[in-house]
Amino acid sequence: MSGVLVQAALPTARAVRWRPGLALTGVLLVAVVLGRAADRSVDAVLVVAAAGLAATVVAGLQDPAADLLAAVPVSVMRRRVLRLALVGAPALATWWLLDSLSTTTSSGPGPLLALTATGVAVAVWAPTRRAVLVGASTPVVLFALHRVLPTGTASDVVGRWLTDPWWVLAIATLLCVAGRRR
Amino acid sequence: MSTVAAGRAPAPAVPSGARVVGALVRAEARRMLRNPVPWLCLAVSAWGMWLVVPEPGEWPGSSYEAMNPVAVPLLLGISVAVAVPFHRARHEVAPAAPVAETRRTLARLLAALPLLALTAAFAGLVAWRERDIGGLWIGMEPGRTTEALHSTAELSQLVVLGLVAVALGAALGRRVSRLVALVPALFVLWFVVSVYWLFGHPAVTPYSVMQVQPLVLEAGPATADPLAFPADWLLVTAPHYSGGGWGRQWVSQALAWWHDVWLLGLAALLLSAAWPRPGRRVLIAVGVVLAVAGVVGQHWVIP
Repeated sequence: MSGVLVQAALPTARAVRWRPGLALTGVLLVAVVLGRAADRSVDAVLVVAAAGLAATVVAGLQDPAADLLAAVPVSVMRRRVLRLALVGAPALATWWLLDSLSTTTSSGPGPLLALTATGVAVAVWAPTRRAVLVGASTPVVLFALHRVLPTGTASDVVGRWLTDPWWVLAIATLLCVAGRRR
Repeated sequence: MSTVAAGRAPAPAVPSGARVVGALVRAEARRMLRNPVPWLCLAVSAWGMWLVVPEPGEWPGSSYEAMNPVAVPLLLGISVAVAVPFHRARHEVAPAAPVAETRRTLARLLAALPLLALTAAFAGLVAWRERDIGGLWIGMEPGRTTEALHSTAELSQLVVLGLVAVALGAALGRRVSRLVALVPALFVLWFVVSVYWLFGHPAVTPYSVMQVQPLVLEAGPATADPLAFPADWLLVTAPHYSGGGWGRQWVSQALAWWHDVWLLGLAALLLSAAWPRPGRRVLIAVGVVLAVAGVVGQHWVIP
């Protein structure tokens, strides 16, 4: 089965739209370089980058040929994993590049992975018609809620992707595994 | 033959161009306003604005600076709401429609006017809120005010940014092939813009999208007597000023107006990406002229 996925990697990579992600990377790089040149804090940019890159990776799950491929003997989840690997690797590389360019202490890729896993879990469990759109919006919504909610329990819960990213990643991964047949 | 011609039903009246555009504007406006995203984003922005209150010991000017970036969620919502109909225009059925693409594009843009009104209302809300809390704080003793209010020029930036949000949504909606890719793109673009301290240096601020005043300019050396500076200077010093010595927090209406000109140019350039080929060059030319004038004007105003 892994041979099939290896064979499918190149056509899938060709089907993925790379330009929006590249443009997004360019904007983030300019912001970080500008912050570095001006000796200003870019922590906020890195948090935006985590949410933006996570949303991009989840958006990469959209497969216009999904109905056509439903009949092939490769499960939907395997095809999702292939797409996540193809889009996730450059996103992770971008994150490391931004993190290494910034002068702040490295925070690690935890928030990016946690938000991506949460978005994927939502996309897996959401109604099929809008699944990827809802999943890709999830990191953005979590980011916005974390920013506007007043300090308290709700804010703490919503902000777990930033404070306890590895727990969020584990729970979201379990949800994805539970929904592997969806 | 003549009998047949005489008995033929009269041809249906062809509606005039203005009536067709008007009907499209109403339909598109209804759809845009039914989209919950801009309303949810407006609520987030309004809540963010409500949380901005000057507090003792705050970084000089931080509450004043925080008032503009709270509009970013609203701008994101407007861009999303506009991007959806422009993305719909990519469908194959659109070129075969009996209304020319230029008119359809114009109708979609006119339909976004209520969203611009939303930004104007938000600017009004900011102005009211600032007066309600008795003004914001800028500067340090002995050069300090606790009654700072954003000027009309600075508040007008929110409306012009609304226009940029419409243009950005239109451009990306028209050019990006998958609607889902717009979510991260618009999010990153608007929220990077909201990290205003990256674009606050006098050399960079003319090119920023969201210009947040005050700018910090050099006032004098650390040994200078702050009481000797002009009385209307709003002063800062270490640790709030990294330049060493005394700095002054400078707010300028002229700078804000020229920045509006730059933003109008930016909006025209973005709109050119969404506009059909006839007329695109005019938009590009207007955009370049306005953008250059805006940048030159800002450089001319900054001391």
